[in-house]
Amino acid sequence: MSVTTVQSPQNRRAILSEIVGHYGTAIAGLVLIAFFVTFAPNFATPVNIVNVIKDTSFLAILAIGFTLAFTVAELDLSIAEMASLAAVVAGWLVQSQYPPLAAVAAALAVGAALGAINGYGVTRLRVPSLIMTLGTAAVAKGLAFMITQGVAFVGRWPVGFTGLARGTTFGLPNLVLWLAGVSLFAYGLVKWTRTGAHMVATGEADEAARLAGIATARMKRIGMLLSGVCAGITAVLLAANLSSAAPNMAGDYLLYAIAAVLLGMTMFEPGKPNIGGTLFAAIVLKVLGNGLVLMGAPYYVQDIVLGIIIIGSVAFSASAMKKAAFKV
Amino acid sequence: MTDVAANASPLLSLRGIGKNYGPVVAVRDVDLDIHTGEVVAICGDNGAGKSSLIKVMSGAEEPTSGTMQMRGKDVHFASPHDALEHGVATIYQDLALAPRLSIAQNVFMGSELTRPFVLPFLRLLDKAKMIEESRRYLSKLSVAIQDMTRPVERLSGGQRQAVAISRALRWNADIIIMDEPTAALGVKETALVLDLIRTLKAGGHTVILISHNMRDVVALADRVVIMGAGRKFVDRPIDGLTADDLTHLIMSGNARAA
Repeated sequence: MSVTTVQSPQNRRAILSEIVGHYGTAIAGLVLIAFFVTFAPNFATPVNIVNVIKDTSFLAILAIGFTLAFTVAELDLSIAEMASLAAVVAGWLVQSQYPPLAAVAAALAVGAALGAINGYGVTRLRVPSLIMTLGTAAVAKGLAFMITQGVAFVGRWPVGFTGLARGTTFGLPNLVLWLAGVSLFAYGLVKWTRTGAHMVATGEADEAARLAGIATARMKRIGMLLSGVCAGITAVLLAANLSSAAPNMAGDYLLYAIAAVLLGMTMFEPGKPNIGGTLFAAIVLKVLGNGLVLMGAPYYVQDIVLGIIIIGSVAFSASAMKKAAFKV
Repeated sequence: MTDVAANASPLLSLRGIGKNYGPVVAVRDVDLDIHTGEVVAICGDNGAGKSSLIKVMSGAEEPTSGTMQMRGKDVHFASPHDALEHGVATIYQDLALAPRLSIAQNVFMGSELTRPFVLPFLRLLDKAKMIEESRRYLSKLSVAIQDMTRPVERLSGGQRQAVAISRALRWNADIIIMDEPTAALGVKETALVLDLIRTLKAGGHTVILISHNMRDVVALADRVVIMGAGRKFVDRPIDGLTADDLTHLIMSGNARAA
């Protein structure tokens, strides 16, 4: 018997709804970028585009860390303060004329150590990640002020350090290469490795994953550790780019990172933290911020828009999840 | 239970199993033998101790007293993973599935297939193989779903049971414990699940069935174990028993316990 598939209006509507659900906000983001390219004065100049890309790199790497913690269903509200402390430690070492490699290693170690402490607190001490990471953030902030005594480290730092952010490799800005490397690693880990599959299962259904033999506590510790490492990488790049390190230097990135992850969850894999979504959302947010400034919007408009995006994204994701659950 | 099964050495053997939760005694001194290829139903009223007994067999809880043997060897299940490694898989009432993950991801959760990538020690998920194998497990159960990437939340209740059973098959489980598999299912879905259990039995799998539905028990089980107040007080072949008989046995057990 031959079966002919006919595209009924219902089918077409279902396909259209699927496309809008998966790519709607991404398409809206592209429209937004096109809008600023066309109408914002000086937006499409090489200098401005490089600035946007640089700023996106810091945010996206930090947000990818948050995404990995969120993949195991934990919040990491300490990312920005971890990055500030790690930057201060790196800056202090560079200022004290230690080799750049030592400064980089120290920043990564600070991020990894705080990430590990977060993981330990969440899995062993059973402190909810919201509370645990708020506590870690406060400690990191205090330590950063203690090391700097409130004064930023600034100086003529060696190119071996600053070049990590300002240099180019094969004609490509190093910041973009860092971002590409971190994104590929995170994407590959989550999508293609057994550890990534276990992280996803832990985040999606903790108890089901545990009953299937997955070491869920270990997966949570890995997610939070990687979040800390991403904060450490962001710290190195921020300090290297500015040739300075100040306490709370990454503080402003926290809300942006949360917004990037939540907005990212409205695209590609609706309702789920996903690396591609976070990356694209980070670009959209930075373009939006830059575009608004160039179009003369007062500085506070950015915060208002950010808040609306955070609430809107969560509402959208919740509705996408509800729709998916009832689509039997 | 067939005579052959009765005479053969048991696959799983429980002796003097007890389980206390603080001062509460949930299971008292239970002996139970499970033989290869049989469907054993464990019945009883709420609080009879059947869930606690199942938790001990599935590794979710450790017994307070008693011993367990698998194929004549002493075993100790400290976790569900331990039980799985010894060939005992449990399908919980809530099925323990991740609703938003795909069928293949659920079937292979915790035991994903990998393949080498570039370097011998670097292994990546073999998604194509997992999809193919998931389809094979489901077709073994006569469940026709084509798209193995479909999220489990988009499946019917019966189809979800099939995914949970497929995961147990993936673990090569000798014994599949099913906790209230037809609870909260409609008539059509219940029929599908009963067929799944028959298919398992026909495939030589051993099934321990916990059910409140006596008609299901009569339709499927070879043997029935009835519990009350933590004790096992009936353990007999189902031959000739009706659903009403089973209800009567449970009630008389309750009366005895009271």
